[in-house]
Amino acid sequence: MSRRSIAIWGAFALAGCAHSSVVLLPDEDGGHGEIGIRQARGQGGETVMRDANSRATLSAGQPTIQPLGAKGLKPTEAALLASLPPPPRSFTLYFLEGTTQIAAESAGMLEQIHAEVARRPGAEVQVTGHTDTVGSNADNDVLSRKRAEEIVNWLATKGFDRRMMSSVGRGERELKQHTADNVASAANRRVEVLVR
Amino acid sequence: MLRQTRILLCASLTALIPGPAFAEIGRIKSSSGIATVERGTTELPATTGQELLAGDWLQTGKDGRISLTFVDNTRFAVGPDSRIALSRFEYNPTTQKGSFVAKVERGTIAVVTGRITKTRCDPMPAEANACGMQIETPDSEIDPHGTRFIITVVAK
Repeated sequence: MSRRSIAIWGAFALAGCAHSSVVLLPDEDGGHGEIGIRQARGQGGETVMRDANSRATLSAGQPTIQPLGAKGLKPTEAALLASLPPPPRSFTLYFLEGTTQIAAESAGMLEQIHAEVARRPGAEVQVTGHTDTVGSNADNDVLSRKRAEEIVNWLATKGFDRRMMSSVGRGERELKQHTADNVASAANRRVEVLVR
Repeated sequence: MLRQTRILLCASLTALIPGPAFAEIGRIKSSSGIATVERGTTELPATTGQELLAGDWLQTGKDGRISLTFVDNTRFAVGPDSRIALSRFEYNPTTQKGSFVAKVERGTIAVVTGRITKTRCDPMPAEANACGMQIETPDSEIDPHGTRFIITVVAK
């Protein structure tokens, strides 16, 4: 096949429906990544898709890349995008020094977390507790775990299934604000809650 | 704290993360129509909350759909008439690195990539391919680098 006829065949393939393809889209936050395509069984080099809103053929030959153009996505593809789960959302709650008591400024966040959990089908919650560097590492491991459990227990009292929650304490290993040992820091006394 | 102690503590902490003996890699968030998870010789209904394991196959019928989220925050939407394998999934939540290989035998899938595609390959010299995400189709191998995309595979 000549180069020209390959190009024509490629354009035809892109216009039709019954061909395998990959569409590179913009990210939800506006940027976009890249996609490398290689032929199976290691033939040929890598073709890189660099432009968002473009379509590449996935056939036995070298991929051809075309912009989506004014027609945009096929209706089935648009429906598929709409059925993606929403992006995970994270929350940070702060605690009073040396305790599992939530700071006043974070008290309202519990209800926000609860609302987020309630509106997601099959929601999972991942809770990670942290401390500042005051006290021993061993004590802080325990405290960070208890802070995380505090949130899990609260969600459980609201009727959320414990099997959909996990908690872990990381003690003073992952400081938000870097400090020397034995330094009180409100920014470090926290629990991170990821709702997925 | 000594650096070495810190590394040891981090390593032991990874082992302490609670969870079942098998490694859950993700969960189904919603499904409709004919939608199943094939695990070995068992076929499970793809219901909301169903845990997924590496090696599972996602299957949908003519009107079937499955939406799912992985533990690294990768998200999938599987369209009708699809057959997709979650061939390999390794993820360390502490380092947020890992590798993910999926295979699209037929059908359509929309993907928003998660932490795994941000894994740089150099800290894992032991296994050259044990990093990032790769999707195999009958004719191609696809390497997404942090993005959102749709793959359609028309069965021959």
